[in-house]
Amino acid sequence: MNRLIFYLVIAVFIVSCRDNYELPLRSNDVSLLVVEGVLTVGQGATTITLSRTLKINEVANFKPENGAKVTVEARNGGTFTLSETNNGNYNHPQLPLVFGQEYRLRILTNDNKEYLSNYVVAKQTPQIDAITWRKEDNAMRISVNTKDPTNSTRYYKWDFDEAWEIRSNYTANYRWISGTTIVESPNYNSQCWKFGKSNTISIGSSAQLESDVINEAPIHYILPGSERLGVRYSILVKQQSLTKEAYEYFKIMKTNTESLGSIFDAQPSETKGNIKCISNPDEDVIGFLTASSFAEKRIFITQQEAGWVYRQLCESVEVPNSPESISRWVPGFLPFDSKEGLSGIEVYVMAQAPCVDCTARGGLLNRPSYW
Amino acid sequence: MKKLLLLLAFVVGLTTVAKTQNAVLISGKFEKITPEIFFKQIEEKTPYYFYYDVKHLDSITINIDVQNQSLQDVLKQAFQNTDIHFAVDVQNRVFITKKIPLIASLPANFFKPGTTQQREDYTHGLTVNTGINNVRKAVLADNKLYEVGNKTNTIKQGNAVVNGYVRNSKSGEPIFNASIYVDSLNRSVISNQDGYFTITLPAGAHKLNAQSIGMEDAQFNVVVYGNGTLNFEMKEHVRLLKEVVVSAQKIANVNRVQLGVERLSIESIKKVPTAFGEVDILRAVLTLPGVKTVGEASTGLNVRGGSSDQNLVLMNGATIYNPSHFFGMFSAFNPEIVKDVELYKSSIPAKFGGRLSSVLDIGLREGNKKEITGSAGIGLLTSRLNIEGPLVKDKTSFILGGRTTYANWLLKMLPSPYENSKASFYDANLSVNHNIGKKDDLYFTGYISRDRFNLASDTTYGYSNLNFNLRWKHQFNNKLIANFLVGSDRYEYDVTSEQNKINAYKLKFDINQLNLKSDFSYVANSNHTFEFGVNAIRYQLHPGSFHPNGKESLVEPNVVAKEQALESGVYFADRYTISSKLSVNGGIRYSMFNYLGGGDVNIYTPGLPKDESTVIETKTYDKGRVINTYHGPEYRFSARYVLTTSSSIKAGFNSQRQYIHMLSNTTAIAPTDIWKLSDPNIRPQQGAQLSIGYYKNLKANTIETSVEVYYKKIKDYLDYKPGALLVLNHNIETDVMNTKGKAYGAELMVKKTSGKLNGWISYTYSRILLQMDDPTVSLPVNDGDWYPANYDKPHDVTAIGNFKVNHRFSLSLNMTYSTGRPITLPIGRFYYAGSQRVLYADRNSYRIPDYFRADFAMNIDGNYKVKQRTHNSWTIGVYNLTGRRNPFSVYYTSENGQVNGYKLSIFGSAIPFVNFNIRF
Repeated sequence: MNRLIFYLVIAVFIVSCRDNYELPLRSNDVSLLVVEGVLTVGQGATTITLSRTLKINEVANFKPENGAKVTVEARNGGTFTLSETNNGNYNHPQLPLVFGQEYRLRILTNDNKEYLSNYVVAKQTPQIDAITWRKEDNAMRISVNTKDPTNSTRYYKWDFDEAWEIRSNYTANYRWISGTTIVESPNYNSQCWKFGKSNTISIGSSAQLESDVINEAPIHYILPGSERLGVRYSILVKQQSLTKEAYEYFKIMKTNTESLGSIFDAQPSETKGNIKCISNPDEDVIGFLTASSFAEKRIFITQQEAGWVYRQLCESVEVPNSPESISRWVPGFLPFDSKEGLSGIEVYVMAQAPCVDCTARGGLLNRPSYW
Repeated sequence: MKKLLLLLAFVVGLTTVAKTQNAVLISGKFEKITPEIFFKQIEEKTPYYFYYDVKHLDSITINIDVQNQSLQDVLKQAFQNTDIHFAVDVQNRVFITKKIPLIASLPANFFKPGTTQQREDYTHGLTVNTGINNVRKAVLADNKLYEVGNKTNTIKQGNAVVNGYVRNSKSGEPIFNASIYVDSLNRSVISNQDGYFTITLPAGAHKLNAQSIGMEDAQFNVVVYGNGTLNFEMKEHVRLLKEVVVSAQKIANVNRVQLGVERLSIESIKKVPTAFGEVDILRAVLTLPGVKTVGEASTGLNVRGGSSDQNLVLMNGATIYNPSHFFGMFSAFNPEIVKDVELYKSSIPAKFGGRLSSVLDIGLREGNKKEITGSAGIGLLTSRLNIEGPLVKDKTSFILGGRTTYANWLLKMLPSPYENSKASFYDANLSVNHNIGKKDDLYFTGYISRDRFNLASDTTYGYSNLNFNLRWKHQFNNKLIANFLVGSDRYEYDVTSEQNKINAYKLKFDINQLNLKSDFSYVANSNHTFEFGVNAIRYQLHPGSFHPNGKESLVEPNVVAKEQALESGVYFADRYTISSKLSVNGGIRYSMFNYLGGGDVNIYTPGLPKDESTVIETKTYDKGRVINTYHGPEYRFSARYVLTTSSSIKAGFNSQRQYIHMLSNTTAIAPTDIWKLSDPNIRPQQGAQLSIGYYKNLKANTIETSVEVYYKKIKDYLDYKPGALLVLNHNIETDVMNTKGKAYGAELMVKKTSGKLNGWISYTYSRILLQMDDPTVSLPVNDGDWYPANYDKPHDVTAIGNFKVNHRFSLSLNMTYSTGRPITLPIGRFYYAGSQRVLYADRNSYRIPDYFRADFAMNIDGNYKVKQRTHNSWTIGVYNLTGRRNPFSVYYTSENGQVNGYKLSIFGSAIPFVNFNIRF
């Protein structure tokens, strides 16, 4: 609704507009603890990520909270310590959590502040029925279907990992090594994979329905012209269940941080999660601890199935095979073909690096195990 | 006419020879008949033929009994004690004149100088002043002498109450807010919505002046014999030359007892340039000092620091809950039907109740009582048509108007995927008024508006207003007049979703109210005018119903129990003229609110936050039972002290109570905002305002200046908790909390009301601060400190100018500057769920950049020949002339893992517009 109205306003009044706006610098910036993670019930590792809020104008994107002591406590006894890996991540390969039991998280930070979450119940997550996709006005909408026959889940959250294959526009027969050295190397860096993960909060609820059914809850949009569906695309959707309180917390976080600026936007509202600083009750903590099992499902979509159009802008040039000429073009342009004359290779056919070498597009060469 | 008669008479007189005319004798009993009928009866029996002007005779009744008398004798008797004269010529033509005696024949001794003719032979009556007062042509409406009260030969001493109606001479419509005054007495009154006025005058002869916007100034000679009726008509300016752009009447701003009253006539509203050239009543109201809005996309008014639900919007007595179209871009009032708009910001009359901040009283025109006329207009987004005319000439008339939009062509130009969006609206008004007799009038008002918009076929939003009421006005006598109104008002919205068959739903909300009002006005004497009455509103509110839409839908029906209540009020007010300088207007209104069953009410532990865990018990009440009652007095007091003939000071105190609340968590008012009645868990809002003003008119009342300052307190204003669910919430009291507010400000205004260049400049300083002081709330906004409301814009300068180049061409220029509104800005960032996100705190602690806009319009009229089939006019202009990108909001959003800040402007460039209107 908000997004639609926003576009409507923009477009109806073609005159209306959106300009970039620099965040004004604020003096009273704070540094709050951010706790992200789910206590995984059943199969799977648990990772809790601790970080700190940043100032608006700080260059860094992430400030990990290292050196903390993170433990999971069961209400009926039992404490499990998570071990610090790196970058603010605290890990446990397999927590022995039991559905229906209650657990909480205790954090002792490096500066000797203690944080404690409320007890959360370990929830079971139903299987994902299907991941569906549909083209909507040239964009690809990926949705999830699920249901809980016991009508007890009601609130869901989804994350995903995505991967897609990319192919170079020009299949290279040559490889530029360095300087002006070019060697023959068939299919050099022509096929890569790229990986991504969700960066929006996807939540859904069936609370308004008679039965606990989620039908076509959108979890991802791929915009028209994206390279993701240029060859073959795969998405692994991970579903977890939430309590009502957690659902409401994430809903506010989503509204506050992902709104698109319509005229009917809700005002940003403050909210508190279920983690408190017991050393300083006035200190806010960001994040909501949940405990749940995960259900996963992966699908593949090929370019042909999707009828997807992806084009790379490329131009090829013929570069005489002389060190002076080659050095003028590389590494911005890379060779992929050649034309031979009487005395061997006369010219190299080159194109922009991303058109020839898929790693120049950020691709990785290792084929994923599931591909 | 008169001149012609005179000339004719002289010509006749010069060419005829005097004769005695006793040939025909008249007998008969002429009882209580008008002179016209009297003349007709004589014409039937005798060879005489009468020449007269009906206007001269309308206050005269013939009541004589004659036997075989000459015409002269009969007429003498008939017009005894009036200023009517007559003359008869040899061709048996009888000339009836007023005041000026006519000699239809040359006196017998005409050619014998030195002798005098006894005029008494032909005329009788009062000594009359001669000639037509050509010098003050614009002033003296006609030569008629108006007589009030039972005519006596000698005028008694003492005061008399004169009352009557002021009407438009062309259409018969009542003239509202005409200023009627007697200069020599420094006494003035203002006609009400029905054109009715009451003035107390000493017996004797007076020159009564009348002024009104768009009307020629008029002066009437009045002789007051005793209490009585005085109805008169005023002529329309054929061309509104000296029009006041925004008008209080010329001296009303100084003389009226109330403070903070603003009036806009439709003519001045039409001159305010608006986006797309659509004449917009609420946009025009927004140019007034003390009235603000959160932004250009919202028609929600914030009057002197009040929220947008604290305004009572009345259209001919009907409450309009959503006065906007097109999600707030346009107001829902058809400018062709509206007569004028009155906004009470401070001194709210005691007869109005139920809202804290203001009353916006929109008066609709009455249909033309004399002939069928109409108008049509075409603009970029809407077209409109209205027809009006008599059903029974001079008794019953109607006015019917409608508007519709064809904005879909604009939506078609949207980029995919929104090109399939649809938006439509219409509104229609029907008013009928019927004059039953001298003392009774009936008025019917009906209104419907409907909006629908569907954005790319996912969800369809619709909302509509439906109002109708019937008012009966009865004049018991010339001191007591009463209005009785019965009406029904409805507002509803619905949201439907169809695309996802499993989740397809229909969401509905509606408010219904049944109104009964009786208002009395009693002029006790020259010093006291009483107003009193009883009002009642029966509310029935369906706070939300959620139903599956289609067979496959799994949506579980969810219906929030309906709410019912009775709000009643009784009021009494006295306008007391203590001396010619000091007047006070004191009123008290006692309002009562009964929340009615049936239904369940949760009782919460006192002193603890209201939530599911603190419910002590749930009480069930039977249908029709009173669940709880709130009641209290509301005081309405204002006083005016005249310093000089052109300046005065005023002071006022007002308090209000409000029992119905709008809950919105969006910045602009949205079509899906809900209303909630007070109940055992939600207290009524209360407000009180103290204001003082100084008013001074300069240059013969053509320049008005004023300063008003006010301080206002608001208690129990309803705000929502962070993340509150407002729609389909069965226990909404758990998601709202009480807030208190304080507002203060000063409004300065200089207004030039006439001349080629007219308009005004106003400066407003105003603050509105809120504080969440509910002790049971665990997480108050800004830790319970004072914070500015969304619409807190301390400085505001508005200049509205209209320059009349010639009669057919005028230019309008508007300029507005205001401080940017407060917004909540992030204080930090964090990384969560794969993305940078912003952290908000401190509500409304930052402001968006200041707002500035200039608009320009040219009004071009066709020719002004009064007698032509159609009159047309064009309005061409540019909205936001400088193209400044005034921000509506500043927001931050996480996109592809990064935080981006944007500034959203509704109108990001200059917008030209054109509008064509035709009258027939």
